[in-house]
Amino acid sequence: MSALFAPTLAARDRRFGYAMAAPAIVVLAAIILAPVALALATSLFDYTLMNMTFDRFIGFDNFVAALSSSEFANSMVVTTLFVIAVVALEFVIGFVVALMLTTVKRGKNIYYLILLIPLLINPVVVGLIWRMLLHPTLGIVNWLLGGIGVPDIDWLGHPGTAFWTVVLVDIWHQVSFMAVLLTAGLSALPTEPYEAARAEGAGTLQTFWYITLPLMKPVIAVTLLIRLIFAIKTYDLIYIMTRGGPGDATDLISYYIYRSAFARLNLGEAAAMAILLMVIVIVLTLALFRTMRARG
Amino acid sequence: MAHIVLDKVTKSYAGGVTAVDAVDLEIRDGELMVLLGPSGCGKSTTLRMIAGLETISSGDLYIDGERVNEKDPRDRDLAIVFQNYALYPHMNVARNLGFGLKLRRVPPAEIERRVQETARMLGIEALLKRRPAQLSGGQRQRVALGRALVRQPRGFLLDEPLSNLDAQLRTTMRLELIKLHRQLGATIIHVTHDQLEAMTMGERICIMDGGKVVQVGPPADVYRNPASLFVAGFLASPPMNLLPAAVVGSDGGGLAVRVGATTLPLPEEYLQAYAGCRDRSVVLGVRPEDLHEAAPALPQITVAANAVEMVGPEVILVGTPEGLETEASARLSRAFRAEPGDRISLGVDMRQIHLFDPATGLAVPRPDLGFEPHRR
Repeated sequence: MSALFAPTLAARDRRFGYAMAAPAIVVLAAIILAPVALALATSLFDYTLMNMTFDRFIGFDNFVAALSSSEFANSMVVTTLFVIAVVALEFVIGFVVALMLTTVKRGKNIYYLILLIPLLINPVVVGLIWRMLLHPTLGIVNWLLGGIGVPDIDWLGHPGTAFWTVVLVDIWHQVSFMAVLLTAGLSALPTEPYEAARAEGAGTLQTFWYITLPLMKPVIAVTLLIRLIFAIKTYDLIYIMTRGGPGDATDLISYYIYRSAFARLNLGEAAAMAILLMVIVIVLTLALFRTMRARG
Repeated sequence: MAHIVLDKVTKSYAGGVTAVDAVDLEIRDGELMVLLGPSGCGKSTTLRMIAGLETISSGDLYIDGERVNEKDPRDRDLAIVFQNYALYPHMNVARNLGFGLKLRRVPPAEIERRVQETARMLGIEALLKRRPAQLSGGQRQRVALGRALVRQPRGFLLDEPLSNLDAQLRTTMRLELIKLHRQLGATIIHVTHDQLEAMTMGERICIMDGGKVVQVGPPADVYRNPASLFVAGFLASPPMNLLPAAVVGSDGGGLAVRVGATTLPLPEEYLQAYAGCRDRSVVLGVRPEDLHEAAPALPQITVAANAVEMVGPEVILVGTPEGLETEASARLSRAFRAEPGDRISLGVDMRQIHLFDPATGLAVPRPDLGFEPHRR
């Protein structure tokens, strides 16, 4: 009997499921899928803010133009360096902080609170605060450094320093993200292997190298990937602190796309670059999902 | 091999909790010592202090005559096997086994040789490439044991290594551990809450309660002469019957024990030992196997049957002796039959009884006559 009814029951279940999910799907399609489709369309037309019509289909010319432009190449290089520097440094600092936090017995919540404060601040505000602190003549940082005899540094005005200044500010802002995620990972590790390793005579470094690091591998992979994806999209800090400058020293890809669209008014080419960036982010996201599934 | 001495070893925690209270214990070279007690009695903490995983609050620990209180676990050269096995989940069996050797910078070829040898001894050669998650409980157990064996340490500390196994596997592993001990002749300290495991494995048993050592001795001695009510009530299942009683004088200058409505004459051999108990209340201890049905030659006690449990090789009768509230059990022959409510007359083998002081809980010393067949 049940075999007779099973298909219709299953079909009814499925229909009910679709009905329940439909509103969410419609909303998502309207606010995500539609804009993406529009951007994709825009990238294939000669669409500028001077001439806002889809009247001339140019195929992949926008992509070709973007890929052959030296500015785009520069912003790709800058973005890559920025992402590597930011993610690597934040990971190392974050891991050290996480390892220290796991040994803290009292007042752990206070440390968490202090750590989380930068994360809670809006990136625009972070940029504004640091722009003031790092002001070459009026900023407190140079004043303090002056106290110990360090000459004034033009933090954001010099091509060589501006890149690293933005990196440092990003680290200040985001390092606790790493620390918090890695702390959570560390506290979820089983305690028994540590006891066993101690009984077998492993020292602190050996325990870290042979037990903690391998056991943390999945957490580390996920943390790195999440941070990587967000770092690629960094925009606010650049907009507030350097506007991509001096010259093109901090011209990250998302800021360059913004400039192409709203300074050079070439929406078509900007859309093409945005699509390229989206492909990169999607590939990284898929990698993240695969890592997470492998963990489960 | 190791000769381990605990001298007033104490573990106390901030807040005034004393987990282990001045434990004196000597484990001889090559001995299999079992630490037995209920959970929370301090047996595991004692073991962990010997291993060096817990600090010793006061007292001294000696291994082969050397005081090792301040020594790192690695310098004590003892291997510990944990209840939950504590295998390294990210390493395969071979690497799990070899890790301790690698830490000691043993050359890889030598590690490989010893891992193979240990795996062969434990019958886990086929599992060397697997991860712990791919092993059954019994296999993990073997790997944990192998990890201890491969190091060839001075002694082994086993922290309830069998308690996560199912009953059948536990029996098998118990026998294997005994065999292994005989083969290696190593010093082993085995912690368990399972009195059967303790009785069958230990060359000597150390029974602990409330952080203190209550009794130490070979299993048969501890079984025959429990030092206190705690030991009497803890060993064996069903444990010794402990009945409120009083020692009274009897006709002809002898002594007798009055239990409820029954008066049982004490054997001549015990008169001198128990003379001090005359006219005082005591706790009478009788093992269930020292109560016999149809034994007219023995002093009789009448019990009202509450339950009759058929357990296969024998029948356990649970009943209330006349004039008492306390229940007693008797191990009777498998042919015994009774209905709840039946009044049954049982013979008491008085040569096997014990008297305990209800105030101190300690046994009143008496001569040990050994086990002998009772007279029916």
